[in-house]
Amino acid sequence: MSTTKTYRPGLGRKFYSSAMLHVVLTLMSLGLALPFAWMLLTSFKPLVEVQSDSWIPVRWQPSNYIEVFNVIPFAKFYWNSLFVASWVTFLQVMTSSLAAFSFSRLQWPGRDKVFALYLCTMMLPGLVMMIPNFQIMISLELVDTYTGLILPAAFSAFGTFLLRQFMLTIPASLDESAQIDGASKWRLYWDIILPLARPGLITLTIFTFMGNYNSFFWPLVMIKSVEKYTLPVGLLFFDSSRGQSTHLLMAAVAMSVIPMILLFLLLQKQLVKGIQMGAVKG
Amino acid sequence: MTHRKRTLRELATGLGFLLPNILGFLTFTTIPLVFSMVLAFSNWDLKRHNMFKEESISFLGIDNFIRLFSEPDFWQYLGNTLFFMMNIPFAIGGSLLAAILLSKDLDGGSRRAGLWLFASAVMVASLLMLIVVGMGSTGMTILICGLASMFLVGGTLGRTSVYRTLFYLPHFTAGVATFILWKKLYNPYTGPINQALRPMFDKVTNVVVSTPTPMIQAGFWAAIAIAMGLLFLGLRKMANQWRDGDLGSTAMVVPTIFLLLPAAVSFYNGWLPTQTASFVIGISAVCLLVWHLFGMASSGQEFPCKKSNGFGSAAMLALAFMVLQFILIGLGLTAYHLPVNAAVDGGLQPPFWLTSVHWAKPAIMMMGLWGAIGSNNMLLYLAALTNVPGDLYEAADIDGASRFQKFWNVTWPQLAPTTFFIVVMSMIHGLQGGFEMARTMTQGGPAGATTTLSYFIYTEGFETGRLGYSSAVAWTLFAMVFTITMFNWKFGNRYVND
Repeated sequence: MSTTKTYRPGLGRKFYSSAMLHVVLTLMSLGLALPFAWMLLTSFKPLVEVQSDSWIPVRWQPSNYIEVFNVIPFAKFYWNSLFVASWVTFLQVMTSSLAAFSFSRLQWPGRDKVFALYLCTMMLPGLVMMIPNFQIMISLELVDTYTGLILPAAFSAFGTFLLRQFMLTIPASLDESAQIDGASKWRLYWDIILPLARPGLITLTIFTFMGNYNSFFWPLVMIKSVEKYTLPVGLLFFDSSRGQSTHLLMAAVAMSVIPMILLFLLLQKQLVKGIQMGAVKG
Repeated sequence: MTHRKRTLRELATGLGFLLPNILGFLTFTTIPLVFSMVLAFSNWDLKRHNMFKEESISFLGIDNFIRLFSEPDFWQYLGNTLFFMMNIPFAIGGSLLAAILLSKDLDGGSRRAGLWLFASAVMVASLLMLIVVGMGSTGMTILICGLASMFLVGGTLGRTSVYRTLFYLPHFTAGVATFILWKKLYNPYTGPINQALRPMFDKVTNVVVSTPTPMIQAGFWAAIAIAMGLLFLGLRKMANQWRDGDLGSTAMVVPTIFLLLPAAVSFYNGWLPTQTASFVIGISAVCLLVWHLFGMASSGQEFPCKKSNGFGSAAMLALAFMVLQFILIGLGLTAYHLPVNAAVDGGLQPPFWLTSVHWAKPAIMMMGLWGAIGSNNMLLYLAALTNVPGDLYEAADIDGASRFQKFWNVTWPQLAPTTFFIVVMSMIHGLQGGFEMARTMTQGGPAGATTTLSYFIYTEGFETGRLGYSSAVAWTLFAMVFTITMFNWKFGNRYVND
């Protein structure tokens, strides 16, 4: 608490307490990081050492990481995940920003009622919709296709809600001056609101991308052929078909976790802000 | 006329922007919703109604629901789901602790180098103690020390954000990949957890065998006594809140049930030596409570028990006390049976985790805690902590409040709206949760011990093919989520505005 001021000469109480704090925090981080440490170390072990007590490989075998690509079509899984997640993200940000613009910057009769309806659907458990959605996909003949993976995820009430919150913070005077200049609503959306809502767009982009990179239920039921598996389903397939080769499995797990870690390190500022904003306003 | 024209044009523009979203909304939300509602009352079963066997689908009315509620499996799965939700108070407590630690001043008065030296000295000392206690190989020691010093250097240089990142990573990466990782960690024979536990269990076996039985079994009674103390403490805390008007009489029902549940369950299940014990606990706790209430009533004070402000914290506290009681009873029982188990050939064995009926759920819950400490909840608490007015702490300082008092009387009440939000959200998530773990780690087993409602919906709907029945389960789940949401609307807003 920065408000409690203690003026003491030398290394005061404050010094020792923050040093102890560092110790506690480091020990906590250590505890949380140990599973990851085991994962990385095991991924460098040769098969014979997988069951040994020692965490540290006697003989380091980095070739595990290449071997994974030979054992299962891991590159294909990667690509599928990136492909699907990118499309979903693009479509969802587009449709959500259009809808959010309509809900926040335009006046039309019944607007708030429709928005309330949107909000209500946010509390529906996704599970309720899974079975009928799957039957819809069967009748549209979209089972086992990328389109079938992408389409249902491309529209989101949450994204609309999040972007609307961001757009509401943009001053209304901008709209008026744009109107005086004779700009159309589309120009207002594309040239003025979208650039100003950029932090919101970035936040939604990260959320949606991460959510889809990790999404499991829908790809699991939709995709039947191995070469169309996304990473989570592919990992499950790897575990159930060759679960004994723990060293390769851990290399695969590491390779699917590390991009997420890197992405988080790059974008953590926006993410943290987005989470705090989304919930505080909700 | 022009006015109407303008309104129409506005409507057209508004809907035009909405069009792409609303199309998807109708196709993938509204239609499925209606469809699913209809399904829930039908007997559509892919085994009987498919392109080869053209039986007609008929409507059963509420038969699906009647069958569901009379099926013991459903109650077991609902019980599993609720069991997993006992994690919530600990997950929230962990995030709060992490947030509080992270919000403290980590600078130590701009003497960073000295700070680092001092902290690392303490660290080395504590790690040395770990080694003395008996950590395995030197390689492991070097690994642990290396990691610790890496974090420490990072923490002293980058401060909060470094620790925050380290805390947040387990939550951020949670998914099939980390579940598979944990499945390997929990492997009873080759997993590192049991490899570390096995030598410890051997030592414990030796100790137990050489100690007289009654001494160990005294541990059982000690645990029961502490559980009783907790029960009474919880009840008294709630009675006090009721007296102070923080907790209405209706809002007290749920926490009270939580508190009394362990005694009731252990009595009902006839965990033999506890049968008498739980009886004793229950009776004496009620007696103490009545005595306490009588004391309050005879003081001639008026009780303004209309509000339910304290519900969030009371429920949290009661839940935490409930789980602690369960843990204590479990420990007591373990102590009671310890001498017999240790005498068996091979001594005590570490648990079989995911393949054991008793340990599968706790194993998954421990994994959940790993991911939950540094979760979004921690970030929300961090944001809320910066909003606590500083003068409240100053006032508390002037009153000479201790650290604990400051937390209990300033921080905790100030965080109440955040806690309420987090509790509600966690309950909604908890009811729908468990599918991914069950699918990747246990297949819902052993003996259905880790099958939650969401996994049940999946197996019925996508593996067995009983679409109608599965939809009925989904709607039952929805009804539960809806109840919590309604509760949130009724109490949440008023609570936050106070």
